[in-house]
Amino acid sequence: MPFKKLRIEITNRVGYILLDAGSRFNKLSITTIRELKRALTQIEEDAAVNVIVLSGYPGESFAAGADIGQMVHFAPGDAFHFAELGQSLFEQIESSAKPVIGALNGITMGGGCDLAMACDIRIATEGLRIGHTGAKLGIITGFCGTHKLPRIVGKNYAREIFMTSEIYGAAEALHMGLVDRVYCETEFWPEVCSFAERIASHPLSALSAAKRLINAAEDTDLRTGCLLEREMATHINIHL
Amino acid sequence: MPERLSATHTNSNGIVTLTIPGSAAASAEELLEALRRQIHALAGKDDVKGVLLTGPESGFCRCLPVGGSSTSAAASLSNLGQQIMFSLEKIGKPCIAVIESECSGIGLEIALTCDFIVAGQAAHFGLPGIASGLLPFCGGSQRLARLVGKSKAKELIYSGDLIDAEEAYRIGLINRLYPNSEALAHAEQLLTHICTRSPNAIRIGGEIVNAGYDIDLQTACMMERDAFALCFASFDQREGMQAFLDKRPPQFKGE
Repeated sequence: MPFKKLRIEITNRVGYILLDAGSRFNKLSITTIRELKRALTQIEEDAAVNVIVLSGYPGESFAAGADIGQMVHFAPGDAFHFAELGQSLFEQIESSAKPVIGALNGITMGGGCDLAMACDIRIATEGLRIGHTGAKLGIITGFCGTHKLPRIVGKNYAREIFMTSEIYGAAEALHMGLVDRVYCETEFWPEVCSFAERIASHPLSALSAAKRLINAAEDTDLRTGCLLEREMATHINIHL
Repeated sequence: MPERLSATHTNSNGIVTLTIPGSAAASAEELLEALRRQIHALAGKDDVKGVLLTGPESGFCRCLPVGGSSTSAAASLSNLGQQIMFSLEKIGKPCIAVIESECSGIGLEIALTCDFIVAGQAAHFGLPGIASGLLPFCGGSQRLARLVGKSKAKELIYSGDLIDAEEAYRIGLINRLYPNSEALAHAEQLLTHICTRSPNAIRIGGEIVNAGYDIDLQTACMMERDAFALCFASFDQREGMQAFLDKRPPQFKGE
């Protein structure tokens, strides 16, 4: 089945999922989320790919949040199912055996910010506009953002971002730790590609184990985490 | 006993400024009791939309004498302090600490309990109690470590040194840094802006952020999903989204 909201490109062991919803801004509608899940599954199964890049390049937005026209009529039950759908996508990204890089090419709002936070690493253009506008819409996010954001930038910045509903720029996002690297417009895409290709040149077994270990570090006590590291390192390093 | 905390309505938008005295307060107990009364009074008032916690120019609040010398007195003071900080955390309204000068000891513990801290260039921060053998006792060690990381928290607690505003900004202790003496005006502007957002979403969001921070991500996300769904039974959600579609500013009610 063809995709309507995105396209897939595969180059040098990197699988690019490029959101292109057809309109000016990529919205995380139910259809887009379902397509993202399907595209991820397809790339995860592709043995020629070691690293996944998620982006809205060369468009204006990475993802501009949910479709408000769709959401305005939600009953609590619809909202519950929508949150479940979104959360299942983010869980799929986090539990994927392949590293996922978020290449934030522009507007990254609301659910789009949550999508970016589900990625392992975030690279942004100088033109980044990122924020969480739930409080302006009378809601909180339902896509794990209330827990991912404090874990990434700390509770205090998270509360500020949620409370102001304001749009933040690349320099602020970098200071807070919300993005890991920032490049100017002309360097952005070449840097994303070369960074992704460099990671993709490493053995996938080691990359997967590293991803699982770092994810586990968040919710595991140190001793259990170290035990897990010992087991994984033993298993991976035996092939040296 | 003189009232050590003064509250004043500073603007018509329902923003209250609580001024915490510097070394003028007689003891930690006295300050905590006064804070408790203020939190209780403010939490119940619908016309109070947001709170600014600040201090006089002499200092937000320095180390205060800790009364009593017995183990049980120290334990009950710590218990009191921690309970009051929890109730400040659950005040249900946005609350910003504004620091223009020294913010240390129990003062820093109070500031750490607010949603976030903004400061002017002359601000400095620390926990100097260690020199007299005193530890933070209002949850400050835990909140500090979670905010700036374990190493920075240990550095501050072990050394007792004060750090300046630039350093505080660099390590993420404060969210925003303003020129000298401008922090309060900027903070009031920021809070006024925050108060145009949905009070419902801000209250629920704050609770969910706090509740989910110390538990595993999966459980936390389940809680978030349910709270998200609950928003769709609110006036604020219908108003906020309709206003967005109509391209007009929303009129939230917080219900």
